[in-house]
Amino acid sequence: MKRTPLTNAILWFVLIMGTAAFIFPLWWMTVVSFETPQRAEAAITGSAGIALFPPNPQFANYANAVRETGSVPWMGFVDALSNSIVVTVLVVLGTVISSSAVGYAFARLRFRGRNPLFLVMLGTMMLPGQVTMIPLFLLFRQFGWIDTIMPLVVPAFFGNAFFIFMYRQFIAQIPESLVEAARVDGLGHVAIWWRIILPLCRPVTAICAVFTFIGTWNDFLGPLIYLHSDESATLAVALNGFKNQYGGLEDVHLLMALSVLTMIPCIVLFIAAQKTFVEGLARGAVKG
Amino acid sequence: MANVTLTKVGKVYTGDGGASFRAVDAVDLSIKDGEFCVLVGPSGCGKSTTLRMIAGLEEISEGSLEIDGTLVNDVPAKDRDIAFVFQNYALYPHLTVAQNIAFGLETRRAHRSGLVAALTGAGSARRDESQAIHARVAEVSKTLGLDALLHRYPRELSGGQRQRVAVGRAIARDPKVFLFDEPLSNLDARLRIETRTELRMLHRRLAATIVYVTHDQEEAMTLADRLVVMHKGRVQQNASAQECYERPANRFVAGFIGTPPMNIIDGHLKAGTFTANGVAIALGAEYARLGDRACALGFRPDRVKLVAPNTAGSVAASIAAVERLGDRTDIALDTSWGRLVARLDADVARSLREGDAAGVSFDSSHAHLFEAGECGGRI
Repeated sequence: MKRTPLTNAILWFVLIMGTAAFIFPLWWMTVVSFETPQRAEAAITGSAGIALFPPNPQFANYANAVRETGSVPWMGFVDALSNSIVVTVLVVLGTVISSSAVGYAFARLRFRGRNPLFLVMLGTMMLPGQVTMIPLFLLFRQFGWIDTIMPLVVPAFFGNAFFIFMYRQFIAQIPESLVEAARVDGLGHVAIWWRIILPLCRPVTAICAVFTFIGTWNDFLGPLIYLHSDESATLAVALNGFKNQYGGLEDVHLLMALSVLTMIPCIVLFIAAQKTFVEGLARGAVKG
Repeated sequence: MANVTLTKVGKVYTGDGGASFRAVDAVDLSIKDGEFCVLVGPSGCGKSTTLRMIAGLEEISEGSLEIDGTLVNDVPAKDRDIAFVFQNYALYPHLTVAQNIAFGLETRRAHRSGLVAALTGAGSARRDESQAIHARVAEVSKTLGLDALLHRYPRELSGGQRQRVAVGRAIARDPKVFLFDEPLSNLDARLRIETRTELRMLHRRLAATIVYVTHDQEEAMTLADRLVVMHKGRVQQNASAQECYERPANRFVAGFIGTPPMNIIDGHLKAGTFTANGVAIALGAEYARLGDRACALGFRPDRVKLVAPNTAGSVAASIAAVERLGDRTDIALDTSWGRLVARLDADVARSLREGDAAGVSFDSSHAHLFEAGECGGRI
């Protein structure tokens, strides 16, 4: 299709406006993170406008934000960062391993009640998290898991309905003969899943890993409910400390600086995985 | 290498509603060590299911299967020591050609030595085995001319190359029995004929027991030491290719084996004269003893002679189509016996034109008679 200059202009306009709308909060956050405390407060209360670029960028905000995180200078941040990393890595591993294994079972094993079970599993997606929040809390308290990372990590090893669904759809497209060839070659189901299916599921695994990573890294509610002590808090909860600790919004520039820092891993991961990721999304779209 | 014996083997699929479908029915088959056995038939005849039961990819519903005298009905595929070449090759897309060929060898090694051996200092034995696998892969790839492709991935190969890798993966393990499920059907016509010849040569070199499934009767005839023609889950004939062609056991085999297919006409035999649609042809005195019965008459297109119209003992025909194939010509003829096909030498057929009138005659010593019905037996 040949585009006229006018349709081109309209297209560009729409795309630029869309991009601007999505970039605005990010830009706002970054600008405020470089402002002086006074100008940042003015920006957030709306009493003064905000510059496109901070006239006097305060790089020290970042060091200050890191130092002020948690109750122990510097170490508070290290604690929160390592907690976030441990929880996120375990949840991503658990979700990929369990979801792909269950997806394989639903796609390739024949067992009694497979289809009803699959429907029940899909049904769990309809259940809002808020409904199970309190019963789960009571259960985990029974286990003595409060203020440990267990309630955040262990459920991930029991699969995620949405990703199980994605894996199942993807695995169902892998020719049956590959599985049969592996059986003839001497592999059992676990080995087939690990050595044949999982390597072929890379696009789905990329989607599953990136979504799970971003979701877990940014999760606020879960850690807030289960992790009570300062030392066990994750970054998302520690961020909130800036508000509670000082009340008001005097430290909004530090809050924004730490927010920017917290976001970096997600952005880096997304860019790194983008190719595989888009391949997976497109594939799902065409053959879904 | 080994014998494979099927005794009254059957496969019944049971649907959700309890309805059952019999895909394979009481197949008796004894394949000798080193024999190239081809299962051939139209799609849905049960040939692939039979092969998959031999492989252990489908459970056997009835009967018994023995490989080398051992009952293997309940032995899993991996322990039957068979190799299977799939129609779509089933190469592992994430592994290179070398890794694909070595895969079966490595999983078997892992079974034997296992983690315990690895931890208790069987390191040098492991290294020896790695070298042995490496040498085996090199040997196999040389046999099949894959040396230059060892580090490529399947997606970087042509159809013919993939097919050879699939064969390489099978022969690397040196199994007791090779099973091929329509391995040539994804290749183009020319490559199919070349590969067919290579497979035949490979069989002679390996002296392997091969069970091979195809729906292409020409492929079946060229490859087979023994041809097993199947239809509707049953074995229709189990004989050499030549015998299936010359003495088809029943009407189905007669129509299935041979290109173009045999002309078969339903009619009535009485006192040595065959009558169909009011047109009678005397077959000769030796047919008189067969008495008075409904039957089907068959004769191969290359036994048809075209004679002048209204010649005594011929069937009146008009030429519907002339297909010139170079050295020979296929002629489609409209007659009161229906559409018949004649295959003539190109020289003989040179002057024939579509729309010409002719008479169809054939040598009754090459006629076949079958009982009435779709699978009517040879008389």
